[in-house]
Amino acid sequence: MQRRQFIKSSCSFCLLSSAGFAIVELSSCANLPVYKTSIIESKVSIPVSLFVSSNLQIIRVKNLEYDIALRKENNDSYSALLMQCTHADNSLNSTGNGFNCNLHGSRFDQQGHVLKGPAAQSLKKYSTQIISDQIIISLK
Amino acid sequence: MRVLLSILLLSFCQFVLAQSESTAEDSLHKGLSSFISNTSIGGYGNVLYKRNFNQDYSSINLERFVLFLGHKFSKKIYFFSELEVEDALVSGAEEGGEIALEQCYLKFNTNPNNYFVAGLFLPRIGILNENHLPNTFNGNERTQVETLILPSTWRELGIAYYGNLNRIPLTYSIALMNGLDAASFEHGSALREGRFEGRNASANNLALSASLKYNKNNLIAQISSYYGGSVGLAAKQADSLQLDSGFFGTPVLVNEANLQYESNGFSLRLLGSYISIPNALEINRAYASNTPQSAYGVYLEAAYNIFKVLHSGYNQELNFFARYEKLDLNYSIPENGIIDETLNQQHIVIGLNYLPIKNVSIKADIRLQHTGKQNPALIINPSPTLPVYKLDNTFLNLGIGYSF
Repeated sequence: MQRRQFIKSSCSFCLLSSAGFAIVELSSCANLPVYKTSIIESKVSIPVSLFVSSNLQIIRVKNLEYDIALRKENNDSYSALLMQCTHADNSLNSTGNGFNCNLHGSRFDQQGHVLKGPAAQSLKKYSTQIISDQIIISLK
Repeated sequence: MRVLLSILLLSFCQFVLAQSESTAEDSLHKGLSSFISNTSIGGYGNVLYKRNFNQDYSSINLERFVLFLGHKFSKKIYFFSELEVEDALVSGAEEGGEIALEQCYLKFNTNPNNYFVAGLFLPRIGILNENHLPNTFNGNERTQVETLILPSTWRELGIAYYGNLNRIPLTYSIALMNGLDAASFEHGSALREGRFEGRNASANNLALSASLKYNKNNLIAQISSYYGGSVGLAAKQADSLQLDSGFFGTPVLVNEANLQYESNGFSLRLLGSYISIPNALEINRAYASNTPQSAYGVYLEAAYNIFKVLHSGYNQELNFFARYEKLDLNYSIPENGIIDETLNQQHIVIGLNYLPIKNVSIKADIRLQHTGKQNPALIINPSPTLPVYKLDNTFLNLGIGYSF
């Protein structure tokens, strides 16, 4: 009886764990639209061609703890925001019209201004410039 | 000569000592500076004045004082904790007050979008369980549904994985943690007293929870689920009580879904939750706790920031809100249960929430409560001074809250 119960419990556990791993596997999809690059002399370089079909690109920089949201503005300039919540340093996710922190619920608009607390400060913004066909983000 | 040598030796020793002291001090400062830059402190708290009109009694209480302490060990590994003092004073042998760790975990980043936590954490169930800072919700009291049906703040020991996609604005989580304790279930509080909250939890029974959260533009839609065993006894003990033990023995299932919408000062929250305890009959037979077979709760809250009209772009907020809550803690009971209609409740809360800055809130609200009738079968040795139970009651709440 005990053995049967143990097997039954173990099977339930395995089934639920499998469901869990299926969710974890979703993370592999997360990498698809992210542009990965490295820092060279405190600068990051991104090809302008990435913005042909979208105005927003998530940049994942090697050795940087948070992603950068690089947005093409209406005047063809680019704004770069660090996706780090200014409240408790949790990473943010893009919602389409801004950013959201799942840890305490802070919300930011596309420019990085606080829409809803507990965060009180705007997101860190990096300066950008376009040199030939590259967007250069200065991390200093 | 000997004197000269002694002086030289002494001078050298002093020099070496001076150098070593300086080096130690320097490294101490360096270490301290590094420690401070990698360590964060925060907190939240609230004070509540409450008037119970049926009881003709008012109280004022420093409900919560919570300190966060976090530390970054490396770019991949973090520590996070919340230490809470409830009701301001915890004194030996006196009732009331609580010091508790609300969270205490290590966080391991796999990349900026995905991370694990291990330790005492709050699983993602409902809205307030994770986001309960007093300046982030309307009303002085947390919602009744997320207090009585979802026992926020619900924390347990285990591991959890969190992540979000980039292509689709979808966030997901899955957690494995210790289960509940059916022996501690109490009539009228559903699962609340069965939480271990990190203290000597039984690990014979486990629980899994998972959530999916869709966050597109101004809309957040979430579903979450919890499934866990509630009997952590050894098999022999459980058999003697005719209870199922094991990882998911005598299971508890909690399902929850919520919607949140915010735009131009208007906000809406809708949440529904359902608890199922299929073996409630066996739990009652073993512990006589009048555990229900199922319970549910829903609420709808609408709020508008009045300052949005009066001062467009004003950084302060004055939120007027109204909330309706319906819950039944004994929606269905087993054969050996006793129905208690006082647990079939409706609440209407109307109030104002003023935020002079994002981190501080000043709140005023009125809660109208309506319940079903008392069941005389549940009143044992009634006191002669016990007032007649009234189906309707009114509460006036005034309070302040902060977080940083």
